[in-house]
Amino acid sequence: MLEVRGLTKVFPNGTEAVKDLSVTIPDGQFVVVIGLSGSGKSTFLRCINRLVEPTSGQVLLDGEDVTAASGDRLRQIRTQIGMIFQQFNLIKRESVLTNVLTGALGTSTYGSSLLSRWPKDEVERAMFNLDRVGIGEKAQQRADTLSGGQQQRVAIARTLMQRPRLLLADEPVASLDPATSHSVMRYVEQINKEDGITVICNLHFLSLARRYATRVLALRAGELVADLAPEAIDPQKFREIYGEDAVEVEVR
Amino acid sequence: MARANSLPLRRPPSMELPRSAARRWRLILVLTALLVAHVIGWRVTNINVPQLVFGLPNMRHIVTSLLQPDAFERSKDVIAVESLVGVLAPGTVAPAGSARRVQEPGSPQLTIVPASAAPGEIVNLQGAGWPAGKQAEAFLSQSTGGIPRSAGTFQVTSDGSVNYAFYVPEWAPNTYGIAVSVTTPQLGFRPTQTLLLCLRLMVETLFLALMGTSLALIFTLPLSFLGARNLMGRSKVGRTVYYLTRTLFNLLRSIEVVIVVTIMAVVVGIGSFAGVLAIVVHSIGALGKLYSEAIEEIDPGPIEAIAATGARPLQVIRYAVIPQVIPQFLSFTLYRLDINVRMSTIVGLVGGGGIGFILTQYINLLQWNQAGTAIWLIALVVTSIDYLSAWMREKIV
Repeated sequence: MLEVRGLTKVFPNGTEAVKDLSVTIPDGQFVVVIGLSGSGKSTFLRCINRLVEPTSGQVLLDGEDVTAASGDRLRQIRTQIGMIFQQFNLIKRESVLTNVLTGALGTSTYGSSLLSRWPKDEVERAMFNLDRVGIGEKAQQRADTLSGGQQQRVAIARTLMQRPRLLLADEPVASLDPATSHSVMRYVEQINKEDGITVICNLHFLSLARRYATRVLALRAGELVADLAPEAIDPQKFREIYGEDAVEVEVR
Repeated sequence: MARANSLPLRRPPSMELPRSAARRWRLILVLTALLVAHVIGWRVTNINVPQLVFGLPNMRHIVTSLLQPDAFERSKDVIAVESLVGVLAPGTVAPAGSARRVQEPGSPQLTIVPASAAPGEIVNLQGAGWPAGKQAEAFLSQSTGGIPRSAGTFQVTSDGSVNYAFYVPEWAPNTYGIAVSVTTPQLGFRPTQTLLLCLRLMVETLFLALMGTSLALIFTLPLSFLGARNLMGRSKVGRTVYYLTRTLFNLLRSIEVVIVVTIMAVVVGIGSFAGVLAIVVHSIGALGKLYSEAIEEIDPGPIEAIAATGARPLQVIRYAVIPQVIPQFLSFTLYRLDINVRMSTIVGLVGGGGIGFILTQYINLLQWNQAGTAIWLIALVVTSIDYLSAWMREKIV
């Protein structure tokens, strides 16, 4: 269970990206966070694994205070939280297999991992995870030779190496075309259902939120303005979240 | 979703006259200041155009010599036999007798009669067994070595004997070498001693650049990570290390190589090692800055992604930073090697060994043909390395 209590992030330039945000997310939920660009979605996500340092507030993962952890303890917590990004963030010049294996860095032996000598069972697990996202045959290719959708699937395989309890997905399909978006979202949905991994996913498109979410959080100017079931988003709610002049665009 | 509430309309730029007048005055002020600076500069640096024009002809000798480098000569067959002659103090009576070195049987013979003489007196060079009818030349050389001086040319007689008389020069009393040689030109050309020496020193210079660059790399590679803001900027300690590293780079880079060589020559003596050390010091500064900037320009995404997996800092550098900077690093290193070859020649001018060292000697001795050899060789090698490094860098990036 993830508990966020009074989370606030003020950037050095004075921008209040997240304001006093509190939410509790039980295990196994597929939470989609919606809101305009700049509404604080990304900052909220990055505060959970402390890629961004919160200004105040608490993040508790299964009762453990993530915000109080430091050094090795923080890294151990991070191994339990997978993350995928809009720009995939793969190591472009390395092979797909190496990219997947980097997901196991947090639990690997320090010395041999720096020399990229991976244990056989980790390589087998990496191949298994690549097969799960349907690109096992690309293992030896350089990561930048893959299409966007394939790269995001490599990123998913990378987080699976962590055996995470929680997956943070920051606009995972914003750089992809609609068809590929659904393919990637289905893999995220699959690991949520089959592995019971809690998913917190930032999305631009409401149609995707309606299709995949079990719960929707809406942010507006850093504040949580709605916490509801996906089917509860009607035109009225939509205008509250996105402003009076907004028009919904659909992705099918 | 479109966001229809529009941007506030921008006001048209105001056309206030006073402000534009102030601007014009400021421009006039700046231009006047520049003009004054140049007038003063002209006087301070003693710029004198007539001097340049009238002095130009003085350059002709040097330029024509430089354009005729001492690089190749006609192949030739040289028969030379050396003997000794004693120069006595003026007024001393020469003892009787002749001088000859032990000469191989079968080779031409050379006897000096008398074996010693005072300056102004005549000494005869006599001998047999020389190639008949050929042109021969006599040389005098000091026992301390140095370049032999021609003492005149003469003809070998048809029966192969020589008999040549010359006046003993006004030299200090001592024993001098005296030689006769017959040179027969052959077909083809061969490199001169000067060219061979320059080539050897050019190779030394290339190695100097290589060692300087490689040794600098050992220090620069780890330091450059400490000088990258994106890796160090998080904590106070990190920022301090970052500023210290960058200051070190700037300091090393700003000290002119010529000065570093001079200092290093005091430490390890004049020679190539001093040159290597100077290049190492300068390259650490220059490469460090380039490397650090390359690290700062990488995509931060993979760093976030690898850090988010719970990886330790060195693992983040190994997987998220190094793969991204390798092409840049290779390119910068090649570029530096190219610059260091050029620098190695300069380093030699002030006692850092290599070809620059011999070039200064030629210039000091006014041996412009030989200086030309060194200069042309430097130009050739530096240009080739320049093209080569550009070509290789293109392949990498």
